[in-house]
Amino acid sequence: MSLVEPLQPLPVPLYSRLCASVGGQAQASGFRFRCPCSPVRGEGTRAKMLRNLLALRQISQRTISTASRRQVANRVPEKQKLFQEDNGMPVHLKGGLMDGLLYRTTMALTVFGTCYAIYELFVAAMPKKVK
Amino acid sequence: MTHQTHAYHMVDPSPWPLTGATAALLMTSGLAMWFHYSSMLLMALGLLTMLLTMLQWWRDIVREGTFQGHHTLPVQKGLRYGMILFITSEVFFFIGFFWAFYHSSLTPTPELGGCWPPTGITPLNPFEVPLLNTAVLLASGVTITWAHHSLMESNRNQTTQALGLTILLGLYFTVLQAMEYYEAPFTIADGVYGSTFFVATGFHGLHVIIGSTFLIVCLMRQIKYHFTSTHHFGFEAAAWYWHFVDVVWLFLYVSIYWWGS
Repeated sequence: MSLVEPLQPLPVPLYSRLCASVGGQAQASGFRFRCPCSPVRGEGTRAKMLRNLLALRQISQRTISTASRRQVANRVPEKQKLFQEDNGMPVHLKGGLMDGLLYRTTMALTVFGTCYAIYELFVAAMPKKVK
Repeated sequence: MTHQTHAYHMVDPSPWPLTGATAALLMTSGLAMWFHYSSMLLMALGLLTMLLTMLQWWRDIVREGTFQGHHTLPVQKGLRYGMILFITSEVFFFIGFFWAFYHSSLTPTPELGGCWPPTGITPLNPFEVPLLNTAVLLASGVTITWAHHSLMESNRNQTTQALGLTILLGLYFTVLQAMEYYEAPFTIADGVYGSTFFVATGFHGLHVIIGSTFLIVCLMRQIKYHFTSTHHFGFEAAAWYWHFVDVVWLFLYVSIYWWGS
């Protein structure tokens, strides 16, 4: 399978066309479950109890099966949506608030460091007066 | 919204080349400050800004490739050329140190006793820990190839396991080599033998650490579903780098540890 070389706008999302071959088990799919709080007309107490019991069994099975597999969810489609949003933000700031904070910290260190290096250069270049 | 009609990647304006260049300035001037004025502040600043630059620049590349889809085939081709050229430059870097070693060891001066190893130097036994280190790195070459094939066959679990095993072997090598450094009967100050030994193996060790870090990043990306069975250049780049590190060790082992003893 080869990547498309676009002559039109880059397809969104590119990943999803490639990811068909990625291995990995899907998370437990939803199950049909009738809410126990919605009454069934004409249902006897025994039937209701059985329905509740079956519902409880389904819930407990679902919880256990998800927890025991310890899967990391595939969040790539969400990331693709976030970073392909047409908001004019450059990629180094597009991820959110943390991006801006990290950028400002790095730039501050850079500017301070440059000034400090030039200052030290001047100090080193000036000969100390011998008394 | 305007759209491009070509397959190449026109990158967004980025501050990281500037911060990276500044980091280089701070590290080099910081080194001079450390040597001559015993002050480590500038060097520490340089290291910190270098770390921040690398983290954010490579994070952005992951975003551009995996999340924005900019790494089309022509772009990937360019990335491949880039990695190959970079590894080639590193090969030449090591050639320099091998040149130094052979220059000194093929015609040992009278000051060394006219022999190699020089008089007074007890070299490490090449058939002890150095041989184990060779086996460890060769095995890691096998496991990373296993990981690659598993990735291409969409076998998620085996990819993760093989990649994890490769990293463990790399860390094992580092620990073993650190212990050897601690226990060695000679130091870097012990003439040209010490200099050539520790500078060559030391830079190799640094490259093992860099390669292991690259592999760890690949492992995290693999777990997060970044790689597909047909598109995983980051992994391939890490694998190439790892094989390069392995080959350099083989040359080191044969030249310095074995022939040089």
